[in-house]
Amino acid sequence: MIDISGLISTIMNNSVNIPLLYVIYEFLLKIPVLGGIVAFLLDFSILGMPVVKSIIGFVLWKPFFTLIIIPGFATLGTMLLVLPWLERKLVGRMQWRVGPREIEPYTRGSIQLLADTFRFLFQEVIIHKDAHKHYFLQFPFLYFIPVLLPLLFINAGAAGHPLVPIQTDYALQIMIALVSLMPVFIIGAAWAANNRFSFIGAVREAFMYFAYEIPFIIAVLAMIVLYGTSNTAEVISGVNQSSWLNWGIILNPFAALTFFIAMAMATSRLPFDIPEADQEVAFGPFVEYTGIVFGLAYIMAYEKAYVLAAIMTMLFFGGGSGPVIPYLGELSYGIWFVVKTLIILLVLVNLRGVYPRYRIDQALSIGWGAMLTLALFALVWSVVVVVVIGVII
Amino acid sequence: MENPNEHIDFLESGPLAPLKKWSAKWSLWPCHFITSCCGVELAHAFACGYDGERLGTLNLGISRQSNFIIIEGTITRKMARALKFVYGQMPDPKFVNVIGACGERGGIFWNSYNITHPSDIVPVDFFIPGCPVTPESLLRGVRALQDKIMGVDKKTIEFKKVELPFEEKLEERMVPTSPKIYAPTPEIKVDVKRVVDWDFGKELEHTLRKELKGLFESITITGTNTIAIRTTPESLMEVARKLKGQMNFDHVKSVNVIEVPHERKYIVEYMASSYSVEELMPVLITIFTEIGIKNPKIQSLMSVWEGANYSERELHEFFGVWFEGNDWMGKKFLLAPDTPDLPLRKEFKIPEDRYVFEKDVEPEFMVPIEPPKDLYTPIWEEFIEEAYDSDEIVVPIGPHHPGSGHLRVTFRIKGDRIVDALPEPGFVHRSMEKLAENKLYIQNIPLFERLAINDPVNMNLAYVRTVENALGIEVPERAQYLRTILAELSRIEAFYYDAGIFSLFFGHTTGFMYCMAIREMIIEPLMHISGSRCGPSFIVPGGLRRDISDDVLGMIDNITFAIHKRAKKFESIFVTNPVTIARAKGVGVLAKEDAIRCGMVGPFLRASGVNYDVRKVAPYEAYDKLDWEVTTGDDGDCLGRFLGRLEEIRESVKIVKQGVDVVKGIKGPILSEDILGEYKEASSDIKGNFFRVFGNIVLPKGEWTTITEAARGTTLFTINSDGESNVPYRVRVMSPCWMNLKGFMEAVKGERYADFWAVYGSFGYFPPEADR
Ligand code: SF4
Repeated sequence: MIDISGLISTIMNNSVNIPLLYVIYEFLLKIPVLGGIVAFLLDFSILGMPVVKSIIGFVLWKPFFTLIIIPGFATLGTMLLVLPWLERKLVGRMQWRVGPREIEPYTRGSIQLLADTFRFLFQEVIIHKDAHKHYFLQFPFLYFIPVLLPLLFINAGAAGHPLVPIQTDYALQIMIALVSLMPVFIIGAAWAANNRFSFIGAVREAFMYFAYEIPFIIAVLAMIVLYGTSNTAEVISGVNQSSWLNWGIILNPFAALTFFIAMAMATSRLPFDIPEADQEVAFGPFVEYTGIVFGLAYIMAYEKAYVLAAIMTMLFFGGGSGPVIPYLGELSYGIWFVVKTLIILLVLVNLRGVYPRYRIDQALSIGWGAMLTLALFALVWSVVVVVVIGVII
Repeated sequence: MENPNEHIDFLESGPLAPLKKWSAKWSLWPCHFITSCCGVELAHAFACGYDGERLGTLNLGISRQSNFIIIEGTITRKMARALKFVYGQMPDPKFVNVIGACGERGGIFWNSYNITHPSDIVPVDFFIPGCPVTPESLLRGVRALQDKIMGVDKKTIEFKKVELPFEEKLEERMVPTSPKIYAPTPEIKVDVKRVVDWDFGKELEHTLRKELKGLFESITITGTNTIAIRTTPESLMEVARKLKGQMNFDHVKSVNVIEVPHERKYIVEYMASSYSVEELMPVLITIFTEIGIKNPKIQSLMSVWEGANYSERELHEFFGVWFEGNDWMGKKFLLAPDTPDLPLRKEFKIPEDRYVFEKDVEPEFMVPIEPPKDLYTPIWEEFIEEAYDSDEIVVPIGPHHPGSGHLRVTFRIKGDRIVDALPEPGFVHRSMEKLAENKLYIQNIPLFERLAINDPVNMNLAYVRTVENALGIEVPERAQYLRTILAELSRIEAFYYDAGIFSLFFGHTTGFMYCMAIREMIIEPLMHISGSRCGPSFIVPGGLRRDISDDVLGMIDNITFAIHKRAKKFESIFVTNPVTIARAKGVGVLAKEDAIRCGMVGPFLRASGVNYDVRKVAPYEAYDKLDWEVTTGDDGDCLGRFLGRLEEIRESVKIVKQGVDVVKGIKGPILSEDILGEYKEASSDIKGNFFRVFGNIVLPKGEWTTITEAARGTTLFTINSDGESNVPYRVRVMSPCWMNLKGFMEAVKGERYADFWAVYGSFGYFPPEADR
């Protein structure tokens, strides 16, 4: 016999606290007939277990909530559907156009991505005869592992109120390791495609990888030094990030800049979309991919961008901290987190409207020259800041 | 093609059919399959003026990622293979729309030897007529396709057969006689002597006689600025050497072969000119010689004038003349493997244009054209072998590539450096020179306009000036100014197109959109004037088709201001962008000597530091009465070429402004009396008298050559007339992009792989113009 009430209380004690739900509940109870139904539903129980209550409780149970809703899969999924659409709309605006619209004119074409996804889904998947068949199909799917695992360590909460699936002292290190793993899969996919352009694209990807990876790691390291911890739950409260004056971007803007450029390079956004440059190598690694497999490859870059933007929010923009929204309780942290992440992502994707593309050697010299210098400087700066803060306080 | 609607059937099958249809409808992604000049309008349809992305139609990716081909106009025999290939590579379900008259039944090129009908090659969903189509109708075609996918069958147009009352109205309409060569054995003479008032020419003739002593047969002044030297095949080389060495004729402007079958001979001619001596700049020296039709061999002058290289290859394919010393003899360069051999020979006949049909003769409108059978356009094998012997990789770009247009270039790349580049033009070779031999002089105006649909007026002007030159017509002053204004508008238009492509090649779509927006504004007055966005055909021998009213002139004036503001925005987002400068500066350098050696023309020559502009050197129209400067640069790199053209836009705007001011004060006819003859009432509008006036133009006997500065450089037209037929005997077009191809390839060598697009964009290479 399972100790149901014990289990329930474990879940209840560790759940996201949203006062609004109680307000709604009480409001519903006051409505004559509906109130009765609601009360009945909530009390309805099988084997002494209130079904509806425990479902709600389970959804709000922190490990579940953080993994599935914010900042986990649901957020990621919504981002993937909304972000490319927002990108197309915003870039369209910059270019004096309107972007996708006619599909759903009243909401400005917001379901465009849905149509594209389904179209890819129903399209033929071609495996050309020169490809290495198994790897060709496996790599895009395997790519999901390093892309999805970092979600476990993203903290969408604020100081003292972590919203993170797994708390560990090595969270940042694990995330960096997983992020660093991603290009391997792209290179693998390109190699399996066995095409000239994907070969060139793979080589370019590899070069770019080396160029941004080191500054990227050093920039994160600088922040770890600054906060004195690499646990994502504690990073937020590191230097009391609840005030925006203590955000990472104020304390160490150099690391933030390095991180942002590295992010653009890592996600192959303009001006660094060198591995995938469509005018030059026709989507490089993905040139041979068709149908839904290309669809996956197409959104993988956005997924990666989400993970990196989430790290950036945690490290530099105070995670979920922000003015408390009444009645939302801990959910308000989650909302601030999503908003901040979305803004970072929008800035990132809209670089496309502003910059042309660098050449590979120029990007490499930026990576190994300017960025590396900046990253090292950021590290030194962090040390100095830590010492100064230590002296003052 | 068993079931042309297989793709629709697929969408309608299965339980998920509504979802399938819905998603296919809103996600038609066309692949980058630019095939011909209608591609310019495609660019407009997806740029900010019309924004095809509204319909969920995103121009992204190559064949593998897309599900929709928009075939833009002509599919030549060479391109037909690419089309079939691309179609085959696309995942099902896939859709095909064909835009432009050419794609249906050939349009203006219906009787060309090098075109095919796309509907024979792939199953077509919709044809969208127009030459070029307007962006509206292109998008309308997308709409129609969406309806088709959803199962709505909308017949937009119903065709009815009409009986044309040809016979009764014939007298009254004055239908021109069908074009044809009258005499079976016309007399073709290249050096017809003309008496002109040209003192320098006499001096020059004297010098030439002295320098070339014993090497020539005759030296004739054939017109202002043109001298013809007749020589023997043996001494051709020597003459060329002397001309280059002693007389500074450092580049060749045209190579031409004229076949005279009834005299069993070819006339081979080279036209040389000079970039280094100022007085010689406007002078065109033609050296020509005659060779027998059997086993026609002649020394290639490639070693003297490198610019002749590609033209010799081309003429070898057209006529079979063997240029000894050119390493490309016996190989295909411009034509497809299955194009008829030696198509420009007179014995190769194409279907005739006719206007008056005899009762029982079936007209040849529908030429059945065999679609090509094999799918393989081979890359030159030795090139590949050589590459594999060393540790280089071979990368072919195009004709279906997001960054190539309709040109195939095969690279040998070592590391990231381009060791060698092998150009392969001809994907839009539509045989204009042959077609022109079968059309009336006046009909050739729209034909040659299709050389560069984004620079139509200059192409138009270049041809018309040649005809005028031959007929000796003086254009009235008002018409001169108006033509200047139009030509400059067209120049601005072409440069912005190139700038747009340049930014697109850097992945900068915003710059592209801004340029297209500016073009949209320039197209507006052209549309007001002639009713056509990109093919006005407004300039006719003797002047213009009709007068331009003062409010349209006012509109042009306003637009010059409006452009200014938008151009500022373009400059701030693209031109001054640090990334652009980093990418373009010092890349693809073409030194002055190289530019001259390759026979570059236009802004690309000037960017390398040669001060040569036909508008100044041999002024035509009203250019010498207006105040403007020639733009030259010294760097000769991509940035220099790009900025140079932006500078020229400013000068052009200046010219347009002045022109508008002046022309408002000039009243008078816009058509010359010389050409109107008895139809004087048409002097301000040709409407109603068009064929009466122009239908039967016959040029005097001889060869007529004119150079005109089109947007991308000097355009040279040579017309040979037998003096009695209403069609030219031979027309030779040297379009600027064709001239620039050599220099383009030179500039690419040694650069990085990614730089190819910087160089490509900076040369504004427009394949339909190059391939003719
Ligand atoms: S000639 Fe050019 S513009 Fe006309 S239909 Fe053909 S491709 Fe289009």
